[in-house]
Amino acid sequence: MYSDYGQVLIFLIFALGFVAIALVSAWIVSPKRPTKGKYTTYECGEDTVGETWVKFNIRFYITALIFIIFDVEIVFLFPWAVVFKEIGMLAFIEMAAFLLVLIVGLVYVWAKGDLQWDKPQPEIPKLDREIFKAGN
Amino acid sequence: MQPQILSKITYFLPETVLIITLIVCILADVILKKKSLVVSGLAIAGLLVSGYFVYLQYGMEASLFKRMIVIDPYASFFKFLFILSTIFVLLFAVSSKEFRDAEHKNEHTYLFLSLALGAFLMASSVNMLMMYLSLELVSLTSYVLAGYTKKEKRSSEAAMKYIIYGAASSGIMIYAMSLLYGYTGTMNIYETARILTATGTVSSPMIIIVLIMITAGFGYKISSVPFHFWTPDVYEGSPIPVTAFLAVTSSAAGFSVMIRFFATTFLKSSAFVAGSWQIIDGIKWTEIIIVLSVASMIIGNFVAVWQTSMKRLLAYSSIAQSGYIMLGLVVANQAGLTAMFIYLVAYLFMNLGAFYATMMIANRLNSDNIEDMKGLGYRSPFVSISMVVFMFALSGIPSTAGFIGKFYIFSALIEKQMLWLAFIGLANSVVSLFFYVKVVKYMFLMKPDEGYDSKVQYGYGGYVMLMLFAVPTIFFGLYFVPLVKFAEASASFFGLR
Repeated sequence: MYSDYGQVLIFLIFALGFVAIALVSAWIVSPKRPTKGKYTTYECGEDTVGETWVKFNIRFYITALIFIIFDVEIVFLFPWAVVFKEIGMLAFIEMAAFLLVLIVGLVYVWAKGDLQWDKPQPEIPKLDREIFKAGN
Repeated sequence: MQPQILSKITYFLPETVLIITLIVCILADVILKKKSLVVSGLAIAGLLVSGYFVYLQYGMEASLFKRMIVIDPYASFFKFLFILSTIFVLLFAVSSKEFRDAEHKNEHTYLFLSLALGAFLMASSVNMLMMYLSLELVSLTSYVLAGYTKKEKRSSEAAMKYIIYGAASSGIMIYAMSLLYGYTGTMNIYETARILTATGTVSSPMIIIVLIMITAGFGYKISSVPFHFWTPDVYEGSPIPVTAFLAVTSSAAGFSVMIRFFATTFLKSSAFVAGSWQIIDGIKWTEIIIVLSVASMIIGNFVAVWQTSMKRLLAYSSIAQSGYIMLGLVVANQAGLTAMFIYLVAYLFMNLGAFYATMMIANRLNSDNIEDMKGLGYRSPFVSISMVVFMFALSGIPSTAGFIGKFYIFSALIEKQMLWLAFIGLANSVVSLFFYVKVVKYMFLMKPDEGYDSKVQYGYGGYVMLMLFAVPTIFFGLYFVPLVKFAEASASFFGLR
């Protein structure tokens, strides 16, 4: 019983050792010729703007959450498609019920207006009084 | 495989009805927009239908979905409890000011329903993964409910605290389950019991770690000391119907899964047939429960004495109450299980009643401070007298249901020769009397402040609701034979007869 856990322990030691050896040997062997370009943060070729710690719009999370639901649905759909022929009608009904529940969720989110992306209204500064008269 | 699943799908009808009701409620909310009464009505109708199906399968025994969940009188009893409390809380929510002002009008309806669904599965699951999943369903729903009034700062704070505690303790619990799985190689608790029994005397230190870690998960759900720190803050911050729901349904669900886990996994499997509870040698889970129970009673009762907010007082009182209920598990026999059942039914009526009375008062006074209830006995006699009934019931004064619950718990303890535990329980009841009566003192023995002595008016619906809680509280205190018979009949696990 304990020897089973022993295997896990050995696996863990090997895994840690492999990571350590790989990192250390790379650090020793690799040539080091830093340039300014190499030290910049990679952002798909764009020049980085601002800090990393910026506030994201909360709507990204809602969209991500909805995405996850349908992502997981795909995970279920693939094995279902593989065994579909063997199980037949029952499989179809089960998956239809599953999809129906998910669609109800989507309908709900939609109807409640959570898919609406309200754009921030930029406040264009207006001048109340005319300081600079035209022509002056 | 399929015929086996299909032939038993009828046993799953109560849950299926709940799921359909849930979907119908969501769609109804989307279509009807702001008619909240229709959605609540639909939910209550669905719960009643589901309750009818539970009634039909009461007394039956079956295992479903490859022994993931079972149908037995034990599970059916808890399902009745969940349905009753969910219906009450839905009625609660109709007259709640906090819910009426909330941004999303009907969302609580289907959140309550999905919590009830999770509780159903918790009461009937016999597989550790299923237990964990259903527990998470209940937890996740209650996090959302705790933060229901988004604009209220306290409510968001409550949700945040709740989710952090919940995540930590359920993580600890699933780790314990994985250890147990590593030890026995099975997730089914009956199989686990069989393997542990075959081991003979279990002396592995890992079992102790498993026991402690798994009680962290269950203890958090039933808010027992030392896993209780979330309770006062969450109870204070959430809207009152949600608090009542957490205090009654969620903690009853915690008990349902906890009792089944301990009473199946760590009992000799040969004892299942005999119906007696023989604990596997070397696994001392009753000791751990004793510690938790005594600590909950003492800390819950003594801290409640200092509270000034009614909601916080009820929070600490429910910590203490879960200590009393756990005493029934310590006894580890049928009498203890029956006593727990009786206590849970009594607890449902008296605690929901206390919360309802608090809500009625808080709706009018805009405060749940006990000092603001000064002289309320003169200003609104009916509500105050009902409150007195609930307070006396919670402290266990004779002729109320609370007394019957405590009586059965203590007599089961004395029968098992655990006199000192019964004594601690009794001593704690005396302490609890102090703070419960404090509320009564403020209501009846103190005059209201100048200028605040006008009568407080309530709608008739509120009075009817109060009667729904107060009448059973007194009725079961005077005529408890049917309750006891029902509890005795329900105290049987799957294959444990």
